[in-house]
Amino acid sequence: MVFSRRDFLATSGAIAVAASVGMPRRARAAETIKVGFTTALTGPFNEFGEGYKRGIELAIEKINGAGGVMGRPIEIAMMLDDQLIPDRSVQNMRRILDNKDIVGLFCPSGSGPTLAVIDMITADGRPAMNPQAQTPTVIYPGGPGTKPRPNVYTFSIQNDIEANFMAGILAKKFTRIGLLNESTGYGKTGGELVQAGIMRINKDAVVTHESYNQKDQDMTAQLVRMQRARSEALMVVGLGADMAVIRKNMVRMNMTIPLYVSAGGFSPPYAEGAGELALGTKGSQFRKIATKPPAPEVAAFLNAYKAKHGTDRLWGSDPEIPSPSMGGTVASGYDGMLVMADAWRRAGTTEAAATIKAMDATKGFVGVNCSYEFTPDKHHAIEVDDLTTYEYAKVDGRMMLVQTSL
Amino acid sequence: MEDFLTLLLAGISVGAIYGLIAIGLNLTFWTTKTMNFGQGSVMMLCAMLTATLIARGWSQALAILAALGVVVVLMVFTETYTVRPALKIEGSMGWAVSTLGVGIVLQGLAALWFGSQALAFPDVIFSAIDDVVVFGVHVSLQYIAVLVLALALVVAFELLVRGTVWGRAMRAVSMDADLASVIGIPVRMIVLGSYIASGVLAGISGILVAQIGGTVDPAFGFELVIFGFVAAVLGGMGSTTGALAGGIVAGVLQQMVGGYISSAAQHGMAFGLLILILVVRPQGLFGQREIVKV
Repeated sequence: MVFSRRDFLATSGAIAVAASVGMPRRARAAETIKVGFTTALTGPFNEFGEGYKRGIELAIEKINGAGGVMGRPIEIAMMLDDQLIPDRSVQNMRRILDNKDIVGLFCPSGSGPTLAVIDMITADGRPAMNPQAQTPTVIYPGGPGTKPRPNVYTFSIQNDIEANFMAGILAKKFTRIGLLNESTGYGKTGGELVQAGIMRINKDAVVTHESYNQKDQDMTAQLVRMQRARSEALMVVGLGADMAVIRKNMVRMNMTIPLYVSAGGFSPPYAEGAGELALGTKGSQFRKIATKPPAPEVAAFLNAYKAKHGTDRLWGSDPEIPSPSMGGTVASGYDGMLVMADAWRRAGTTEAAATIKAMDATKGFVGVNCSYEFTPDKHHAIEVDDLTTYEYAKVDGRMMLVQTSL
Repeated sequence: MEDFLTLLLAGISVGAIYGLIAIGLNLTFWTTKTMNFGQGSVMMLCAMLTATLIARGWSQALAILAALGVVVVLMVFTETYTVRPALKIEGSMGWAVSTLGVGIVLQGLAALWFGSQALAFPDVIFSAIDDVVVFGVHVSLQYIAVLVLALALVVAFELLVRGTVWGRAMRAVSMDADLASVIGIPVRMIVLGSYIASGVLAGISGILVAQIGGTVDPAFGFELVIFGFVAAVLGGMGSTTGALAGGIVAGVLQQMVGGYISSAAQHGMAFGLLILILVVRPQGLFGQREIVKV
């Protein structure tokens, strides 16, 4: 059979038309749903950024493995490093917001960087999940109880929730309390809220409130002021690497009062830097992730993490149950990605307004850290009941965080 | 009284570290009128290398020696390829940019090699729980060790400078490098030696600070060098005794301001002191007024 030029053109045209009919569907199917974020992937506090990146990746693998959202896989289109430095977060977020293909955002690790970019995100209008920043004004610009930013949802322990939890414990046990916080947005608001919470419960309490700069190598002056005020316990709102410095400083000064830390203070560098000096340190952390036996959704998350990363420093020293700090470092990113994907699924689109409407209707979504419920007026999910108290103790020769009553 | 003693002793110890850093800065200023602005990264690299090698099972002594050996090689590189070429141009400040550049590159390399997270640093000389009671105050043996080591290094350096041929040669180079060269002093070796000694002092300081804090990361050291610089200016640029005294004064003042006035003001105090000294006594506490004949 010989093809004439006319036959060839006709056949080619028919194939092209047939292909073009099928093409859009296939192209749409292959088109990814893009998310972007800037976080502390490197630097002294990178356990937070690296952790939440891993959480998002695990969630995406789970979603894509089940066929994606509306048949479309999710993709991390932009992942930038800010080292927890607010200026870099701003530059990075500007680049991310300039990418109009990105439909889902994640806020940076830490309150300082997040506060630096949150107005840009609010003005942009695309939905943003906040995995780690604890300052309430990230979500509620007028303070807790006021109207939330319309497009920002938090998966972290808000400072006011944690402060109420810790203040309740401290004020009932002690009258003279030392309060030390880092000088960032997270530390400052956390410290102020704990102090207010203590005073609300016990008007006669004497709170000695001091601050320090992240990465300070000596805290003698602050601790001497606590000693002079005859503080019976010390509460620190800060992060793990600085906690090691504070704990060692306390020991050098023979300061034996009980030490309480915020959730951020339990991050891996604390135990790594302070070693066994960390034993006896108490504080708040996520309840569900380290509860034995794990709930099915927690077990699925933990198995996926172990299969990909093993029981590494973010996991902690017990091969069976992770450190509860993983709730803040990894699981908050994981839950954030799953909840946003669920909203896209319910909305039937990734368009911003529809996604936000679906996010505001989230109810009973069972995550690793808690059961998520958002409304137009409530954009945080972790409550006091989702926290519990932990203490560094030695179990079978290994130092680990164990649930305790304070 | 107990508070005062605690603050005083902590201030002396922290100040001794500032003093060691200041002596390192002074050494190169003496011989070349330059300073290594990457000194903080040298501190960091030495501490991170030591922590990594110890974690891999090396003995502490061997790990420290190996880390200091790397610092020596690094300082030879810094002097040869970043400072010396810049000094060939009269009045050039290229060395400031190039030494800072080396420091930034080192930070990046450290993040690449060791990871960017904070590494745990083991106790090297005593642990945080080791102490002695002086006038009813618990004094950390780690702090005392830092002070004793700093004093020993200052005494050794003074003996070297005043009592040996190399020391006299060094002083000659600091006064007039061209004339020293004419009379046969190996100026090149003296300058290189000053950079090496400066790096070794920074490395030792890095190890001492890291073991007190318990962790070290690639961003470590930068702020300490600023306080070291304040100590050097306060004591008088070029004076070893002045550097140590300047460091201790800065350290003690910092602690006293933090302990009695405001902990938020203790860092700002160092810069306030720097401005005050530059206004009232520009040559520093132990420095001599420079007289130039024209």
